[in-house]
Amino acid sequence: MALVTTTEKLPVATRSGADQPRRGFRWRRALWVGGFLLPAVALIVVLLVVPFLVTAYRSLFDDNGVSSRFIGLANYVALFTDPDFGRSLLNTVFWVIGTLVLPVLLGLLIAVLTNSVRWGSVARTVVVIPYALSGSATALLWTFLLQSDGAINQTLASIGLGGLQQEWLLHWPLNTVVMILATTWQATGASMILFLVGLQTIPPETLEAAKLDGATGFRLFWSIIVPQLRPMTIVVVGMSIVNSLKTFDIVWLLTRGGPGTASETLALTMYRETFTLSRYGYGAAVSVVLTIVVLAASWLYLRRQATQR
Amino acid sequence: MQTSDTGHSVTRRTVLASALAGAVGLAAAGCARGTQTRPAPGDVVSLFNDNPTWAPGYAAAGKALHQLVGYRLSARASPDTSSYQQIVRMSAQTDSTTDLIKWWNGYRLQDIARSGILQDVSSAWNLAARNGWSNDKELRDSFSYQGKQYGVPLYKSYWAVFYNKPLFAKLKLDVPTDWDEFRRVVAALKAKRITPIASGGATTFESLTWFQQLVNGLDHQFYLDLTAGKASYTDPVCRQAMKLWIELFAAGAFSAPDFNTATVPAQFAQGKMAMHLYGSWNTGAYLSNGVKDANLGLFLLPPPPGGNNSVVVESGVLSVSKKAHKLGAARKVADAWLDPSVQRAWTDFLKDTSADPGVVPKVGAITELAATVRQQKPTQAIRYWEASPPVLIEGNVQDLSAFMINPTAANASRTLSSMQRRADKEWKVWRS
Repeated sequence: MALVTTTEKLPVATRSGADQPRRGFRWRRALWVGGFLLPAVALIVVLLVVPFLVTAYRSLFDDNGVSSRFIGLANYVALFTDPDFGRSLLNTVFWVIGTLVLPVLLGLLIAVLTNSVRWGSVARTVVVIPYALSGSATALLWTFLLQSDGAINQTLASIGLGGLQQEWLLHWPLNTVVMILATTWQATGASMILFLVGLQTIPPETLEAAKLDGATGFRLFWSIIVPQLRPMTIVVVGMSIVNSLKTFDIVWLLTRGGPGTASETLALTMYRETFTLSRYGYGAAVSVVLTIVVLAASWLYLRRQATQR
Repeated sequence: MQTSDTGHSVTRRTVLASALAGAVGLAAAGCARGTQTRPAPGDVVSLFNDNPTWAPGYAAAGKALHQLVGYRLSARASPDTSSYQQIVRMSAQTDSTTDLIKWWNGYRLQDIARSGILQDVSSAWNLAARNGWSNDKELRDSFSYQGKQYGVPLYKSYWAVFYNKPLFAKLKLDVPTDWDEFRRVVAALKAKRITPIASGGATTFESLTWFQQLVNGLDHQFYLDLTAGKASYTDPVCRQAMKLWIELFAAGAFSAPDFNTATVPAQFAQGKMAMHLYGSWNTGAYLSNGVKDANLGLFLLPPPPGGNNSVVVESGVLSVSKKAHKLGAARKVADAWLDPSVQRAWTDFLKDTSADPGVVPKVGAITELAATVRQQKPTQAIRYWEASPPVLIEGNVQDLSAFMINPTAANASRTLSSMQRRADKEWKVWRS
């Protein structure tokens, strides 16, 4: 405020004098903008940046939760030479691809197909209901279905298809695939809702114009609807990438990352090393790698999309 | 309009004031001293454990303790084992610790004892030996670090076979007394399309069950050497144990490897399951889930050919935190814990065996088991879970889980090699 008062008193005849009020205005504007940004930035710094730096610092120690000693980058060396870490990374990539292809694509298709049909709302409700369930309830349900003596195998046996019975959760990569399917069952509703919102923002005139030009069916979908849904697709795909990189709850509850470490994702490896094995330094190293992967993937994706727009 | 304006202004001020008050309140609460940072009130000694269902048992034991030393117990619990361990490790170094802490014996106890967060309670063991309550050298060793004891036994469970008495009677089967008889029992049950043995472990610690049983059953001394890092997982005894395990898999002895242990009592009650090798602490779960006392039996699994009478023993630990608010009171409780009056109150609730062989709860299966132990006097081996450094065990248990999915000779060999590789690495870390 003192700065503003001073500039108001300055003469405006010279060129440099003319710049003064403008600079003052800029300062005032910067202060206002800074003031509005401060709470959000402070929250991010306190709740995200500081914990990340503390975790990164902790990853340089051999720490059992009671005592610790500095070991430099040894945790990272151990991590990258650990075959279990490679499997965990591979599973995480499976999750990213699986949840990009299935829930996003299915969500888009269901949204488009049910948007303007008569009983569409019923179909949409059916798809959305699983999304309302908590992760643990979903896992409980799928455990009941997928266990070796679970509902799916019992049903197959009772209808004479015993030959198709599988130990669904016990063999890799089948266990990862069925868990991705279980997640698809739950997550499709969320992407469908977002795509529905996107569909409603498409101007009817655009669609009418396309129809007048003779575009129907797949042509209308591919050439008009999909490009118009682009902003929403960026959001849905971005969220899907980040969520799949963080996959934890359903794997933890269905297989605990096992058998062995066969179905572990990076988030599970981090949990096991930190809380089961009490290797806090090693667990911190995994979480640093996971954070870098998530940030890099999000940044690359959003940067690319923003440039294209 | 004016009213409306005033209303907005007041509302905004009220909101801002409330937000400020809330923030100050939260900050104050954050800085405040919680109940855990103060000593428990009056004659109460606080105890932290990982099993909320044991609260009535602690209350009953506390009543008996009150008559002896003037203190009763107030238990709080965190049911998730990982979180529980995490909380103990963190809080034991601060003034938020409870006076008493439940833990595990063997290397898990050594792991935290060497960090200096526990109080030496050797005097409690000396007192128990003097009074004839418990003088069990093997058990005492599993509570020791550098010759001192850092906890007293909360219970002493035996890993034995729970069996379904009505089912055995219906099929005219007797409790097996040697390995061949055991295999005949398995075959007879299998022939009647009854799952002979419940055996989960695909994704749980239970995969250690048959490995520890067969290795220790074949050669007790080898098991001790193996778990002490003096023998190799690729030695012939381990190979023989895996071979026997594979034979049992091939004979259809086991349930699916992702079997949920919590459902065993119900399957027993329905006559679908015949046996379950498990810790005797699970007796209460059977009795409270529809299995009648008279229908439940427990026997020690006979050793495999060439083996010896040996039993796997598991014991929970009651430790005193070095930073306990009521250190003196907590030590008195530890001293009195093995007093028969306390053990009777506690084991009547737990329905399991005590470290004091003279205290046996009035449960048919446990009485039967205690009598067998008295008669056979088997050597005792600490459970595999506590028998080596925790990181080594956790990794090896995961290897065994993976083996259970594909129990073949080639996979057994791979599994043992992997376990030995981990042992080489983790023993080096442990000893460093």
